[in-house]
Amino acid sequence: MALIDDLAEATPQLELDRRKALGLLGSGALALAGLGTSIVGVQYLWPNVLFEEDKRYKIGRPEDIPVGQVVVLPREKIYLVHLNEGFAAITAVCTHLGCMTRYESEERRFFCPCHGSVYDLEGNVTGGPAPKKLPRFQVVVDKGVLMIDASKVMDPDFVLKV
Amino acid sequence: MTPHSDITHITVVQGEARPLVDAAEEPQVMTFPHLVVRELIAFLALSIFLVTLSLVWDAPLEELANPSVAPNPAKAPWYFLGLQELLHYYAPFISGVLLPGVVIGALAVIPYFDINLERKPLWDGTHTRLKLAGIWGSVVALTALFYFTAAHPVWPIIGPLWATAIPMSLPVFGRRSLPFWIFLWFLLCAIALTVIGVFFRGPGWEYTLPWRDGIYT
Amino acid sequence: MNRVFRSIVRHGFPDTNRNRSLAVFTNFFLHIHPVKARLRAIRLTQTWYLGGLSAATFFILTVTGILLMFYYHPSVPRAYEDMKDLEFVVSAGVFLRNLHRWSAHMMVALVLLHMIRVFFAGAYRPPREFNWVIGVMLLLGTVLLSYTGYLLPWDQLAFWAVTVGTNMADAVPVIGGDIKFLMLGGNGVNENALLRFYVLHCVVLPAALLVGIAVHVWRVRKDGGIYLKKPESNE
Repeated sequence: MALIDDLAEATPQLELDRRKALGLLGSGALALAGLGTSIVGVQYLWPNVLFEEDKRYKIGRPEDIPVGQVVVLPREKIYLVHLNEGFAAITAVCTHLGCMTRYESEERRFFCPCHGSVYDLEGNVTGGPAPKKLPRFQVVVDKGVLMIDASKVMDPDFVLKV
Repeated sequence: MTPHSDITHITVVQGEARPLVDAAEEPQVMTFPHLVVRELIAFLALSIFLVTLSLVWDAPLEELANPSVAPNPAKAPWYFLGLQELLHYYAPFISGVLLPGVVIGALAVIPYFDINLERKPLWDGTHTRLKLAGIWGSVVALTALFYFTAAHPVWPIIGPLWATAIPMSLPVFGRRSLPFWIFLWFLLCAIALTVIGVFFRGPGWEYTLPWRDGIYT
Repeated sequence: MNRVFRSIVRHGFPDTNRNRSLAVFTNFFLHIHPVKARLRAIRLTQTWYLGGLSAATFFILTVTGILLMFYYHPSVPRAYEDMKDLEFVVSAGVFLRNLHRWSAHMMVALVLLHMIRVFFAGAYRPPREFNWVIGVMLLLGTVLLSYTGYLLPWDQLAFWAVTVGTNMADAVPVIGGDIKFLMLGGNGVNENALLRFYVLHCVVLPAALLVGIAVHVWRVRKDGGIYLKKPESNE
């Protein structure tokens, strides 16, 4: 059986140009299809509906919480602190790597057991590797009851004056 | 055949970068049975070791996951404890993304940047002072960088840096390629960080002594 | 009977070098080997068989992993209850779980040692440089397999190790938050995350690793077997 060697045959310039154009068109189409597939793929993996719990929590009446008291909400992962300026809903999740901090009432501080970060009761970093202070959530009084909305992160000094 | 005397074909043949097995030099044996039997024995030895281990030592299982209580200390498996120890010194972006990324990137490009000091050793008599100044300038700069930027001075990185740089500048050991020294530094850092993370860290990620307080898991 | 045997194995008893060659050459599972091997290359002290044993742990992990899948539901809190079932109810359940766990630790250790040995032997140098890169990717794959598997028991250890790990992804600039959301399939480590890690651990990563190992081994053959220093030179 003889090999039909197409490489040995001369190719006209027009044919070469045509091949180049078709090659560009083909690889362009392939790249576009690949891009489209990737986008659809990420969209598919992106959950549109989440069965996560409501992030709004009713806590109690503001007059029941004296100045200086820290209300620990372990399930909600929030500390409600009555500072001199007002109520602050501070997250209990460490800004370092998301471990749960714990309130140490003797030292009056929040402490992260994972990597040893320390915060004061306003959420400022006083030790350890934490890169920034603990963020605060929105607090409002709704029909005389304090309500925290943990889906709304406010500016770092946000307090509710009552 | 049509004569094409006016056309000269030049074919450039590039040598393939693939080694040939020079069969003549090396003593060889038949793969079956010599290699196959060795493989079988190695696999059986490994299996016996792992089965014995599994019979006498139970894998840990703690209580049901509870998102509101973080255990103290919360330790990852041993091969992540070097990384976890590093997280104690820097913000997550640096120790969790930047430094591991640099290390993995450096590992991947090692074979493409084989600056061979073996053919041009440090101690070949030319520019020795300049080279030494370059090495120690970099060492001092890196030491300062790792000392001042971290939350605590990163001794598990600075120590290995000096432990690598000192033999590197000695005439006896200096005949090694640069990737060798960089790899050695990475390796010593990884070992130091992992050993500290596994044995010397306890509640609150404070230092403990394993022979006094036991090993925290 | 002999005819049936001959239809399966086409060579005679391996008591001649010709039949020994055919035993390797015509066998699907052995054909990754050449017919003859250099004596230095197969010595224990040359490689400590670290690469081969890494592949062996991968094989053990595949077998024990498939067996564990028969009793495991990737849902909360059923996953944890299944761990307790394996421990107290299933025959040899605790043994299989132990074997899977310790083999996983062993695999990470062997792959790391393999890399260290290959480096100090200088085997990463041309023409094997791309195989070294594949090796680095295989190391990453091994670590990712361990990491995804670590969540599956759904105990405290699993939950917090993975929480810390995913928050590291969060630290990537700009797209970190999105990467974390996509990894977990939600905002926290919950049932969606467990299912995603399960699929990655049982299907995606092992399949990728298997292909990677095949290419890695194939390239070792194509580069003329494992790297050995030239016998006479004292490099």
